[in-house]
Amino acid sequence: MSKLTTGSFSIEDLESVQITINNIVGAAKEAAEEKAKELGPMGPTPFPGLETYRDDWNFKLLDRYEPVVTPMCDQCCYCTYGPCDLSNNKRGACGIDMLGHNGREFFLRVITGTACHAAHGRHLLDHLIEIFGEDLPLNLGLSDVLTPNITITTGQRPKTLGEIKPAMEYVEEQLTQLLATVHAGQESAEIDYDSKALFSGSLDHVGMEISDIVQIAALDFPRADPEAPLVEMGIGTIDKNKPFLCVIGHNVGGVTYMMDYMEEHELTDKVELGGLCCTAIDLTRYKEADRRPPYAKVVGSMAKELKIIRSGMPDVIVVDEQCVRGDIVPEAQKLKIPVIASNAKIMYGLPNRTDADVNETIEELKSGAIPGAVILDYDKLGEISVRLAQEMHPIREAAGVREIPSDEQLKAWVDKCADCGSCYLACPIELDIPEAMKFAKQGDFSYLENLHDSCIGCRRCEQVCKKEIPILSVIEKASQKIIAEEKGWMRAGRGQVFDAEIRSEGLNLVMGTTPGIIAIIGCPNYSDCAKGVYYIAEEFLKRNYIVVGTGCGSMDMGMYKDENGQTLYERFPGGFQSGGLSNIGSCVSNAHITGAAQKVAGIFGGRTMDGNLAEIADYVLNRVGACGLAWGAFSQKASSIGTGCNIYGIPAVLGAHSSKYRRALIAKNYDESKWKVYDARNGEEMAIPPAPEFLLTTAETWQEAVPMMAKACIRPSDNNLGRSIKLTHWMELHEKYIGGLPEDWWKFVRNEADLPLAKRADLLKKLEEEHGWEIDWKRKKIISGPKIKFDVSAQPTNLKRLCKEA
Amino acid sequence: MVDTTKNTKLFTSYGVTSSKAVNPDMVAKIISKAKRPLLVVGSGVLKPELLDRAVKIAQKANIPIAATGHSHIGFLDKAVDAKYINLHQLGFYLTDPNWPGLDGKGNYDTIILLEFKKYYINQVLSGTKNFSKVKAISIGRDYIQNATMSFGNISREDHYAALDELINAL
Repeated sequence: MSKLTTGSFSIEDLESVQITINNIVGAAKEAAEEKAKELGPMGPTPFPGLETYRDDWNFKLLDRYEPVVTPMCDQCCYCTYGPCDLSNNKRGACGIDMLGHNGREFFLRVITGTACHAAHGRHLLDHLIEIFGEDLPLNLGLSDVLTPNITITTGQRPKTLGEIKPAMEYVEEQLTQLLATVHAGQESAEIDYDSKALFSGSLDHVGMEISDIVQIAALDFPRADPEAPLVEMGIGTIDKNKPFLCVIGHNVGGVTYMMDYMEEHELTDKVELGGLCCTAIDLTRYKEADRRPPYAKVVGSMAKELKIIRSGMPDVIVVDEQCVRGDIVPEAQKLKIPVIASNAKIMYGLPNRTDADVNETIEELKSGAIPGAVILDYDKLGEISVRLAQEMHPIREAAGVREIPSDEQLKAWVDKCADCGSCYLACPIELDIPEAMKFAKQGDFSYLENLHDSCIGCRRCEQVCKKEIPILSVIEKASQKIIAEEKGWMRAGRGQVFDAEIRSEGLNLVMGTTPGIIAIIGCPNYSDCAKGVYYIAEEFLKRNYIVVGTGCGSMDMGMYKDENGQTLYERFPGGFQSGGLSNIGSCVSNAHITGAAQKVAGIFGGRTMDGNLAEIADYVLNRVGACGLAWGAFSQKASSIGTGCNIYGIPAVLGAHSSKYRRALIAKNYDESKWKVYDARNGEEMAIPPAPEFLLTTAETWQEAVPMMAKACIRPSDNNLGRSIKLTHWMELHEKYIGGLPEDWWKFVRNEADLPLAKRADLLKKLEEEHGWEIDWKRKKIISGPKIKFDVSAQPTNLKRLCKEA
Repeated sequence: MVDTTKNTKLFTSYGVTSSKAVNPDMVAKIISKAKRPLLVVGSGVLKPELLDRAVKIAQKANIPIAATGHSHIGFLDKAVDAKYINLHQLGFYLTDPNWPGLDGKGNYDTIILLEFKKYYINQVLSGTKNFSKVKAISIGRDYIQNATMSFGNISREDHYAALDELINAL
């Protein structure tokens, strides 16, 4: 193998010949590996391949948390042998069975999501290196462990933009290997697809980490700042009297040029700049490290994309990548809104005006000669989008397309309804639109108004309406009053959790006295209503859990107010602390959530992080009470984020729609053989309680999700006080939302000190009467009964190799 | 008598109609013949009209209730054997012949399903359909293609009437 490194050299004896080598394949990785040898302790798995984690960790997880397959349909339509009927787990013409095919289907979602984040990371890394150079330091705030996901996966600890390149190249290489396995005639075992999905999930958090740390370092985002500024949120915050430049997507690269142009031309108070999805979150982080007052606004989540367009308010729409609807151009065209595509991943078939003259492009767009344009030059994008918004504003006002439809138009639409019920059948949320239309015909629009908060704006209802009623517009028109009042506050994404916060909370989390970390992430495809995430967050914050959020979940948590008119972000501190609510940032900031759990193992637990995934994940699974909530999980990226959490031993509860991911990881709580670990002190087997019961599953309602998550924060290593606190919360929440005591509460009791203090006597009585445990009533002590022994110095692990006598 | 076998239009835009449309009297016969039946209810059952009917079905047929979602809270003061379990978890456990069931007496051969989001129950039943022998009978107001048998898509009023017919036939 070559020992050359990147750079250039010349051969002196050959006149007039110069060989320049810009990049030697593999050299960057090789150099990084050489450098890693100098760094210190290294785990067994730096730069892992498809098989590396399989036997040592993934299969251990999948033995307890078995893949649950729920196919979307009974066919495979993947190749020209088919379509094949796979029902009842039959095999298709290629030999794959229903289990294998659905394993492949889920795996495909995970690698798609991983690719989205990795490609986003590559785009930002290259762009920012071009602007700022490879030597720009990774100043991310008060942390020594800057890149936990990169470090665990590759063994590297990059300190500059340039030093990230080996990790980026590595993720890209492994993604190619992973994608290849989908090809017909390769992997067919469901269990191996699940192992590969877990591996892909770990890579996803590397790609996300790269995406976020480079933008924090180069674009002056808040750096691990618990007091990141508050940002205005909601459609109601947009000033209709100003030109409105609306950005949609997940890549802040181009948006920064709009903000720069607005600042240079003193337009920040003359043009409204607001966005949807993660670009919106990230534009509010730009240049916010010094906490200047933010002027960019967050309109809302992906569910608001069509709603904001139909409102007529945007004068220009700029899209970049990822969670962007496919019908934005035709929808925008109806209301004379030019669309600019600023990223090669979404070009919408629009003419490319990257190299055209700026003034000519503005004229073309202004006149409506073209519905939009591709502009990949960010300098031009910044100028064109802002100038065009200013020019389109009076044009669109004069054309009467900046307001939602009239009352007369609404009545005409409602009267057309034939009550056929097709919209009810087509609606993914199962909204009772026919009932609401029936009442609207009678003049009562409150039922339509009530649909607004649940409606995800997909317009499947309109596609099936035989009367061609624009049902989404009907709902939005009927809801104009509540939309006008749709205003909230969200903290701009703070970035990483810094080391001192981990040191401060690590002991509480490991011992269980801080009951857990609740991570509220994900898309707005809620099965009940957006307010569900608010209720869940509030419940856990009031109980002193640490609540963190990202992306659309973070937005929706900020959209509701208490009786004093305050949002959760105003009521609770922004630190990673008991009872704190942190908005970590956009979707790619999810890497900092796994990073926080990993840092508990590395910083607080003193475990080697470098190239040591299994040990870190084992520590998290057994000691760190964390549970994710992706209440509206919808995208492929959500599947990769969740699966990345799973490989690190962090369970996640998803909304009911997410059953359509076709896979869950659920343990058999009745199979005692699954609930044993080793004690690392001597290698002996020790029984543990059945929690977490799942790594990935769904809940039907937010009321069900709350106690599920509280239970999922219980860990084998809890001490008495911690177990008592966690049982108190779980049992109280179960009683509040499900009713009565949980059936299996007694399985978590090791001795009387584990019991919730307020109910100790009653529970001891139940243990005696219902479970036959022996109680010494004079001392109020349990004499016999528990299957689980308590030993405060026990070191639970799933990895036999970590045991001293192994 | 309500014809619950009409209008079996799928709510999804894919898949096959593998579920057989069924009338209330047939459901009553299936329940009476089942060795280990289980009434599975979702959170939608908390509407008073449905809660009362679910209780009557459980009482007349003398079958236990698996209360999924947060539906269990509705059965606390009712004279029925209702236990909470998560639906996804239940769907998985039903595919395991060794599951001791909610009462420790073994797995179930027939489940009767009432008041779920149709996309959720349909997805969970795709697992039991393909990987178990359990018979799933949906008596909600929507046609569920992955059930073994199902009512068709019916109005709320017809649904209440059909449930009453079922109760009378038990």
